[in-house]
Amino acid sequence: MVACILIPGFELRAALRARPSLALRPAALAPAEGEEPLLGPVTAAAEAKGVKPGMRMGEALATCPELVLVDQDPSAAEQAWEEILRRLEDCGIAVESGDLGCVYFETRGVERLYGGVEAALRRALAAVGSAWDPRAGAAGRRFAALAAANVARPGQVLIVADERTREFLAPLPLALLPLAEQRRRELEELGVRKVGELAGLPGGAVAERLGPDGRRAWSLARGRDRGRVRGRRAPAEIVETLEFPEAVGNELTLRRALAVLVERLLGRSERGERFLRKVALSATLVGGGSWRRQLTLREPFAEAGRLRTALGPKLAELPAPVLKLKLEALELTESGGQQLALVRPEGDELHGMLREGLRQVKASTGEGGVCTVVEVAPWSRIPEQRALLVARDD
Amino acid sequence: MVADSGTAGTARRAGRLNAPRPVHVEPELDGAPRRVNRRGVALVREEWRVVDRWWTEEPVHRRYFDVVLEGGENAVVYRDEEAGGWFSQRGV
Repeated sequence: MVACILIPGFELRAALRARPSLALRPAALAPAEGEEPLLGPVTAAAEAKGVKPGMRMGEALATCPELVLVDQDPSAAEQAWEEILRRLEDCGIAVESGDLGCVYFETRGVERLYGGVEAALRRALAAVGSAWDPRAGAAGRRFAALAAANVARPGQVLIVADERTREFLAPLPLALLPLAEQRRRELEELGVRKVGELAGLPGGAVAERLGPDGRRAWSLARGRDRGRVRGRRAPAEIVETLEFPEAVGNELTLRRALAVLVERLLGRSERGERFLRKVALSATLVGGGSWRRQLTLREPFAEAGRLRTALGPKLAELPAPVLKLKLEALELTESGGQQLALVRPEGDELHGMLREGLRQVKASTGEGGVCTVVEVAPWSRIPEQRALLVARDD
Repeated sequence: MVADSGTAGTARRAGRLNAPRPVHVEPELDGAPRRVNRRGVALVREEWRVVDRWWTEEPVHRRYFDVVLEGGENAVVYRDEEAGGWFSQRGV
């Protein structure tokens, strides 16, 4: 069976660890700087006063003037989540981490160890710790397990038998399905509010009306979900930190600090001859907040210059002066992923490489970043009349 | 299944290749450019006129100059004799 452990509002809970007294007061996770002013998760006290996650900040403060906005602390949240994943791994569970606060695993590997599915889930809940109010769900399919964990109360284990999956999913709200807000609203306007109501519609009609996302949601609603759980590879533990004597906001100084961190990280003996695949840059900000960016490198490498080039632009996103800068190697690989070619590529292979290159340019520059020159009047004496630049969409 | 009619394929944007860009030119008495965007002109390599579409509502009358700037850069600029103003179609 597939199991899911869920900690609703994980980012808020992680941020509240530094201010535990707020957990019992109306509090909500503030939106990140530059994002739409919508609230993140809220405490039970805030919910009791009518504040809901996703509410506009102005509306929430008008509804509950004593609401406390808690700054996001992504670095602390990542760290707390990593600790939880490691505690689960220490119990012999091969975890696949979804978003923060949601983890999946196959129970097959630990059922015999702990004496059944329920006992294994109870062990997993204990490993997470009751302070996080985790809940567990298990089912034959991944989505049903997530739904079961959503329905379970804190500390509860809910197991859904295979033959009852559709029946279990039917009365649940559409919000559980991975559908865009607009699509969900469209469905609600059509009178479809429950998972079971969506499952009852003909698949072809759903696909025609809602496209591939709708079709996928429909499959999930019918309990047809082939998503497998893949245990993660244990992360590398190579971390370099630089503390400043006073807060630094100057980008040039930060770039120099980054260069030092990169040199130190690449010089660590634990890295050996391995290449970096995934790195994280995080900072402790003046005033107590934190900031973190993860970066998966397109191809693994271990060159200081390239790493500085890849991470440098992220420093411009720092919202406040920095007290501490940290660079972590999250994933390392044995090979650089580059192979010398014996024969020069040609024909379809060359076209494929060109297409892939164009796709990457388009991904980094956005729509209209790649164009084709189309001759429309090559005979014209007026230069701008001869050809058009047409954005490629393939 | 019906394709989404709002895909990028139906609304592809097109732009002109070599579209003229306004440029600041200080001309000599004979009309040839002396400075282009505050950079001196070292040499005028070629000069020609394009007169076209005189039979339409939007006639084209341009005086083109292929110049080499002091930094060694090559540029093609023209003066629009119909509407006035200078434009660049290559370089600068």
